[in-house]
Amino acid sequence: MSSHYEAPIRRPLIIGDKSYHDITVEVAAPVEGKANKLWWTAFTIALLAFLWGIGSIIYTIGTGIGVWGLNKTVGWAWDITNFVWWVGIGHAGTLISAVLLLFRQKWRMGINRSAEAMTIFSVVQAGLFPVIHMGRVWNAHFVLPIPNQFGTLWTNFNSPLLWDVFAISTYLSVSLVFWWTGLLPDFAMLRDRAVRPFQKKIYSLLSFGWTGRAKDWQRFEEVSLVLAGLATPLVLSVHTIVSFDFATSIIPGWHTTIFPPYFVAGAVFSGFAMVNTLLIIMRKVSNLEAYITKQHIELMNIVIMITGSIVGCAYITELFIAWYSGVEYEQYAFLNRATGPYWWAYLLMMSCNVFSPQFMWSKKLRTSITFSFIISIVVNIGMWFERFVIIVTSLHRDYLPSSWTMFSPTFVDIGIYVGTIGFFFVLFLLYARTFPVIAQAEVKSILKSSGENYKLHRDAGGKNPAPTVTKSAINVKTETVVDSNANKNSLLGTLGVFDKETQTADDLKLISGVGPKLEKTLNTIGIYSFEQVSKMTDTEYDLLDSILDSFKGRAKRDDWAGQAKNLKK
Amino acid sequence: MKNILKITIVLVFLFTLSSCWSDKSKPNYQYMPDMYKSVGYETYSENPNYANGMTTQLPVDGTIARGKVPYDYENSNEGYEAAKLNSKNLLEVNEANLSNGKKMYDIYCISCHGKTGAGDGILVQRDKFLGIPNYKDRDITEGSIYHVIMYGRNMMGSHSSQLTAQERWQVTMYVQELRTELLK
Repeated sequence: MSSHYEAPIRRPLIIGDKSYHDITVEVAAPVEGKANKLWWTAFTIALLAFLWGIGSIIYTIGTGIGVWGLNKTVGWAWDITNFVWWVGIGHAGTLISAVLLLFRQKWRMGINRSAEAMTIFSVVQAGLFPVIHMGRVWNAHFVLPIPNQFGTLWTNFNSPLLWDVFAISTYLSVSLVFWWTGLLPDFAMLRDRAVRPFQKKIYSLLSFGWTGRAKDWQRFEEVSLVLAGLATPLVLSVHTIVSFDFATSIIPGWHTTIFPPYFVAGAVFSGFAMVNTLLIIMRKVSNLEAYITKQHIELMNIVIMITGSIVGCAYITELFIAWYSGVEYEQYAFLNRATGPYWWAYLLMMSCNVFSPQFMWSKKLRTSITFSFIISIVVNIGMWFERFVIIVTSLHRDYLPSSWTMFSPTFVDIGIYVGTIGFFFVLFLLYARTFPVIAQAEVKSILKSSGENYKLHRDAGGKNPAPTVTKSAINVKTETVVDSNANKNSLLGTLGVFDKETQTADDLKLISGVGPKLEKTLNTIGIYSFEQVSKMTDTEYDLLDSILDSFKGRAKRDDWAGQAKNLKK
Repeated sequence: MKNILKITIVLVFLFTLSSCWSDKSKPNYQYMPDMYKSVGYETYSENPNYANGMTTQLPVDGTIARGKVPYDYENSNEGYEAAKLNSKNLLEVNEANLSNGKKMYDIYCISCHGKTGAGDGILVQRDKFLGIPNYKDRDITEGSIYHVIMYGRNMMGSHSSQLTAQERWQVTMYVQELRTELLK
């Protein structure tokens, strides 16, 4: 076998000298460790927003849609704006996991799990709006063609709102299945690592008895490919159908054939921006910078730039066609957008969506994490306003000047939107602490082709695969023990000295958060047994931190002493 | 897994059966009766706003509704005699009027007066009550027939609430025809 060929031009997708076990440990760490204060703070805020949203929804359903800012002319505003916005956001996940799979993009592997989670959670938010904006929510089941006692009264299959029902429900269920099948090997990993019986039980249930046989993997790959093939047209059709809600109407400003591809481009645009927002935070908080690298962020920025340009192109096309059509209603609709009472919304949409992605042409800007983070948020603000502008400015001034009016939201409109954002983050934060946020099985499949050290090894003429440590990568994180004997002695003073002659060393790797390297480091200090670790208190943690270079605060965060106490029994 | 399936089947079966045990003396449960109950007052509905609790109230005496012609003869022996002499049927004697007259007669009159008007209706045959005269035994005119349908006479009650003015004249016409048959 000749050695593996990969163009040297490709940059590594996994930074540092990682082994398979390192990947496992680092992916499992957020799940196996305890939530820190930051997480609880974020979760509390999200939960409060969610509860506020639930209150608003209950108030709406209990009192009536009249508590919203809608009027007879503008019958859709924040409800459908938010619906389309959330559906749009949900598109990136499937795009990343399905389309990038079809295109064999290896860089998807670091991000697809979280992107799909984001899809699921945002489609759940989107799915709320078609239901709660109904005047009679309790009759929502009539949208389904179920045989009934009204002489089998059927639905009319001509309405795009009915197509929405099928599109969204199919999209959610297919995405869920796609996501879950991908999760099976990772849940199995967590199951096999679980120390406590409750976690073991839960992850055994979730992993459906995955054993990772060759036959399983072969079918797993086939299913993934087939689902990716199915999900890709689904992505395109779902947002197309959502765009039909407007495009099939007769409202000037809505009745356009450009909407289907333009909405899909906008969806990918806003979805990638949201993935960027979340992953930039997640890589930092969950210490996954080795897997969600700057290159991932840069590539997502490039997608944002491309789709942002497509969206910009669509805006110009719309403007051109409005002028070219000679239809005065159409022309007025666009004049109204630019110079009417909602000019500020149009300006926000234009500046956020057309100009902000163009900054990504600069390598300096698109490789800047801070800048990407800001732009990703700006893009989502812009895309919210895009939907708002399309919906409200087209409705509030149309054919009859006698029906011209204005729209302003009430606190209930806003409360529900805030509530969905809260709900989204409640789900996402829970996900980040209970699910393997990186598809470790997939990442392991590219470790030897795209891992930094393996690439360096190959570039130096080595045959493939490389041993774990050959040449040290530029920013390999190795544990260096600061030779501070005083600290060491005082630490061992309280923990007790381990006598190799009479005692046997425990497998410290069983403590979650301790990998093989860290175990070795602990051994060099003189810590070998659970007995010693279980004696640790805050002062010992601090001492340990002073001895160890990195891993600051980790021992305390993961509660090593508590774990060791459990393991000792 | 198999147990869950079995339990589900049993539960679905019990749930289906539960519809057999509902209280049939009461109206059934309703799901979200949004527009089941009328907001406006329906004709025969109860109405708490009136002393007699009914939505249908009597019109003011002496008022005449559009399209209605008041009947000018009194409900008394004098009125009867006057109607007998002066009241005339303004309807044309034709097939349509006679056939509708027969239809109305067969609904409202036949149970006492009998199919031919001989006073041998089903109630008489069953001895429910007696004293129904044969049309041929009485000296009646179209005016008096109409008057009796309108007000009733002796044991017979008024039929003015069942039959419109036109229908009463059609019945009158048919009764006259029956009487001619009986007198033959």
